[in-house]
Amino acid sequence: MGALMAEDDIYIGPLFDLFNLRFGPEQTEQEFEAGGSSEIKALQDEFDIFQQGRTFVESAKLLGLGGLHNNRAKNRWFSLLTWLARVPSDQDGETGDQRIVNALIKNFARKSPLPCFMKAHDSRGPDGLRVIVCEDKPIFYIDRTYLTISLPMAPKVPPAGKGAKKKSKK
Amino acid sequence: MCAAVAARELAPPGDGGLSEIYAGIAAYYSAKIVRFGTTPEGVDWTCQATQEMRFVQLLKLCDFASPFSLNDCGCGYGALIAYLDRRHGDCAVDYLGIDVSGAMVRRARRLWRDRCNTAFTLGHASPRTADYAIASGIFNVAQDQPRHDWERFVAASLDELHRSTRRGFAVNFMKLPAGVTGRRGLYTTDTASWARYCASRFNAAAEVHDGYGLMEFTLIVRKL
Repeated sequence: MGALMAEDDIYIGPLFDLFNLRFGPEQTEQEFEAGGSSEIKALQDEFDIFQQGRTFVESAKLLGLGGLHNNRAKNRWFSLLTWLARVPSDQDGETGDQRIVNALIKNFARKSPLPCFMKAHDSRGPDGLRVIVCEDKPIFYIDRTYLTISLPMAPKVPPAGKGAKKKSKK
Repeated sequence: MCAAVAARELAPPGDGGLSEIYAGIAAYYSAKIVRFGTTPEGVDWTCQATQEMRFVQLLKLCDFASPFSLNDCGCGYGALIAYLDRRHGDCAVDYLGIDVSGAMVRRARRLWRDRCNTAFTLGHASPRTADYAIASGIFNVAQDQPRHDWERFVAASLDELHRSTRRGFAVNFMKLPAGVTGRRGLYTTDTASWARYCASRFNAAAEVHDGYGLMEFTLIVRKL
């Protein structure tokens, strides 16, 4: 996402990892389920972390999903997540942000929610400039169905809306 | 009068040879608050959501039907106050925060200087007896302390929580996963040992609460 993360593009992978660890499969070998999607479900049940009218980026802040040690990368990541409200999704009538929030609300309302996996797809390709959410098995060596969230990304391509004003002035 | 207690900087009672441990804790958390400020990260939690989930569990100790006094041991910058105001704003809670980190207490006093019924004191012992006390996360980061020494600190802290409360106290511990070696620098334990210690030593009812999504448990000790 060259236009938003710029030289911090290199941190997108670790930021995905942060989400994927927090939302990943729970630790099932313990006396009780903890961590991963179990932790997020408990937090959702208690605090409604994801809710209508609250953007995904606000929930991400509550969950500390921007990392700890690089404020610039964190701020840019949160800008990118904010931008998702301005791109479409694979669901008619929902922005990318609404699509993610609604899918997470629905998932964590289940008794046994799916772990979640966040990744990127090339927005210049057939999947296009839109957020895509589906249930699949995104990690071939983990035989587990996830709720997969795919964000549109591309190198040095201005995201939808960004720069449009400048162009219109020319 | 605004503050319910005059938070005196009392000379600490005998620290049982734990001064080195208290100094280590103070240094660790002072560095955190300097680095991250008055945020969950500044008291070494990953995020606000998990920080407040711990408050939810610990406060199961308290009866919010009527006003009470509460000591918050290892209070940090007083994050509990924001939570109390938001979730239990209709119950008057006379709050005293206690912390061994001078930097933490300074930030807490600045942050909450305009709030009534709120005071902070520097040290490891409470200058007053309160209805309840809680301590969130104070047993987790053992740094390089040998387990035996750290458990002397845990026992001394539980004794102090018992001494300074009328109705009971609540603490939390990181759970020792079955078949897994604990992580270096962190103190983990089973659910039964400290519950047994409290029940027998304090003639109290000790309840273990877990299953709230985090790899830890909360121990609630109610006086009989």
